[in-house]
Amino acid sequence: MTDFDAIVVGSGMSGGWSAKELCERGLKVLVLERGTEIKPERDYVDQLRPWQEKNLDRISEDEIEKHYFRQYPGVAYAVKESNKHFWVKDDEHPYETVEGTQYDWLRGYHTAGRSIMWSRQSYRMGPQDFTANKEEGVAIDWPVRYDEIKPWYDYVEEFAGIAGNKDGLEQLPDGVYQPAFELTDAEKSFKSKIETAFPGRNVIAARIAHITQVTEEQRALGRTNCQSQNRCHFGCSFKAYFSSLHATLPAAERTGNMTIVHNAIVQSLDYDPATNRVSGVRIVDAVTNEHRTYTSRLIFLNASAIASAMILLQSKSEIFPNGLANSSDQVGRNLMDHISGAGASGIVHGFDNLKVFGRRPSGGIYIPRYANITENDKPYTRGFGYQGGASPLGNAGGQLAGIGKSFKEAHKAPGPWRINIGAFGEQLPNPNNRVTLHPTKTDKWGNPQALFNVSYGENEHTMLEEARKDAVAMLEAAGCTDINSNPVNLTVPGNRIHEMGSARMGNDPTNSVLNKWCQTHDVPNLFITDGAFMTSAACQNPSISYMAFTARACDYAVKKLEENLL
Amino acid sequence: MHTRRDILQGMIISIGGAPLLSACGGVAQIVPSSEGGMRFFSNEELQLVSRVSDLIIPRTETPGALDVNVPGFLDGLMAEWASADTQRNQHRNLRELGMQLGRDFVELDEATAESRLTSLDAQAFDTSASQYSAYRSWKGMITQAYFATEEGRLQEQQWVAVPGHWDPSVEI
Repeated sequence: MTDFDAIVVGSGMSGGWSAKELCERGLKVLVLERGTEIKPERDYVDQLRPWQEKNLDRISEDEIEKHYFRQYPGVAYAVKESNKHFWVKDDEHPYETVEGTQYDWLRGYHTAGRSIMWSRQSYRMGPQDFTANKEEGVAIDWPVRYDEIKPWYDYVEEFAGIAGNKDGLEQLPDGVYQPAFELTDAEKSFKSKIETAFPGRNVIAARIAHITQVTEEQRALGRTNCQSQNRCHFGCSFKAYFSSLHATLPAAERTGNMTIVHNAIVQSLDYDPATNRVSGVRIVDAVTNEHRTYTSRLIFLNASAIASAMILLQSKSEIFPNGLANSSDQVGRNLMDHISGAGASGIVHGFDNLKVFGRRPSGGIYIPRYANITENDKPYTRGFGYQGGASPLGNAGGQLAGIGKSFKEAHKAPGPWRINIGAFGEQLPNPNNRVTLHPTKTDKWGNPQALFNVSYGENEHTMLEEARKDAVAMLEAAGCTDINSNPVNLTVPGNRIHEMGSARMGNDPTNSVLNKWCQTHDVPNLFITDGAFMTSAACQNPSISYMAFTARACDYAVKKLEENLL
Repeated sequence: MHTRRDILQGMIISIGGAPLLSACGGVAQIVPSSEGGMRFFSNEELQLVSRVSDLIIPRTETPGALDVNVPGFLDGLMAEWASADTQRNQHRNLRELGMQLGRDFVELDEATAESRLTSLDAQAFDTSASQYSAYRSWKGMITQAYFATEEGRLQEQQWVAVPGHWDPSVEI
């Protein structure tokens, strides 16, 4: 007899979905969250007004140096004095990198994990993304094709609430969408000019996980439409943006089947060689240092691509001396992120008589991948999409000429319109890009620290150089002036916070960790549905894919459990 | 009716490094953050920053920088937010700014002071030369502090806390 039917490790983007799906199918589920409890009513600060913020909402420089020396440089746009409790303190959660490499491991340890901190761009992977590895002879083939995952995208999008348009692009399939945030006039003009000047390139409205036409299902969870505050990094009192905290965890909780335990840091999984099953989950309480073991029939790892891999690596046994479910030696390898650091901005003319009302969340436009889709003359493989938008420049933080009344008055005007686009590109899988357990260093609970060894290859560098040139060419074609495009400054690995690939899926157990259902080849009752399963990264923001694969895996796991096959 | 100079003098005497911007009905509520007054500014620095703030963002039909206690706020910001290195750099910037504007700047009449600051501002925004970075840095902080106030944000920028909807195309 086990304590629970299923244990879900992690309450974030994918863990929330595991909890919901398993609970709704009648399983008694324990969710283990390593961080503290977040209560929106207590911990959200999105209703804080600018004049109520301490020190212009800047974290003190001494505090950054002491606690946020890695987090802050990576995500200064999001980490502020009022919301710093959403981000881990680097000195409390250290990690290491191999000499000569860098890695940004940007984390949120609390209920719902980084699902309360993400930027909510939600694009499906396209058919080409599931076949590229095979066609190019890169890494291994995906064991799944787009048509198999399509209904699960439909399923999760309807529940989550994605604002977007149906654009009819094969490489970026349409989904189940609520009305998109309408483009500004400058963006519409840009779209028209780009699609004329560059046939095969498209400018579409960003597809983002914010409710714009609330459904009864969403209302029943206390959610409503986006109020255009654009204070998403500080929480969302309207529960309009998708997060585990607003959507999947409450859905799980209302079944009466979910138990959630906070401050529970998973140290390892117990493996029973007699049954070839995981039999228990060992945790240390982050506050009391108490050690406990929970048992269940089914385990879902949703701790994030890095943490899930580390849990496996820490779970050594006679059968699995290199870590649980690691007979392929692929656990921790092929660690991927997306690449940025190339783009352009410029002034758009002809819209000085216009301004906007409200503050649109998560950006405005998206330029889907065209490289090696509609244009096949590239000196690199795969491709990138651009995120961006056009809006009035507005208050320039005092960097306007003039003093006195005229200077003051100038801040009432929206100012000239500026457009910016920035590339998000695909990183190729590479088995040498990996996370391992540090041989000697541990955290304060005695767990091995992560040791990262990740660097980009020639394809990533070449791609971004070309992305910068393309961005400038498009802004020039759109008639922009004052075009600014800094030299490519390739983001540090991990900086896009899209960790993937550390327990890839594949058809062959000798070179992959998971099968097509996100089930480990080696241990039937162990599933991993965070970003670890990704066999390649594509260039789309991955969260909606994690959700879809998680829902699909849960459906499969419950059926197998009912058939006593787990 | 107080003149701007009255307000300025009054603030220099009574101001403290208020950690939060706060104003009611256009009158600054000054909350001294230490018994001794300033936590970051020397008296000379406070006079300079106050004079510059008043000239950059004067009282018009809406409150000015002094009305909402921008200098006091910046004193608190520098004391609480800035590291020792940044504090040293900003003290140096203020010395540089003081020299650029002239030792007699805070004593000048309104028109002369305005003329001198206008000249410096024009030079600072006509070139990216680093010799004007001190002025641009403080102008930036003064402006950001002002527009973070309730008055600056609501009255000047017509900011709406909860817009409720998105309209991408509004004619001015």
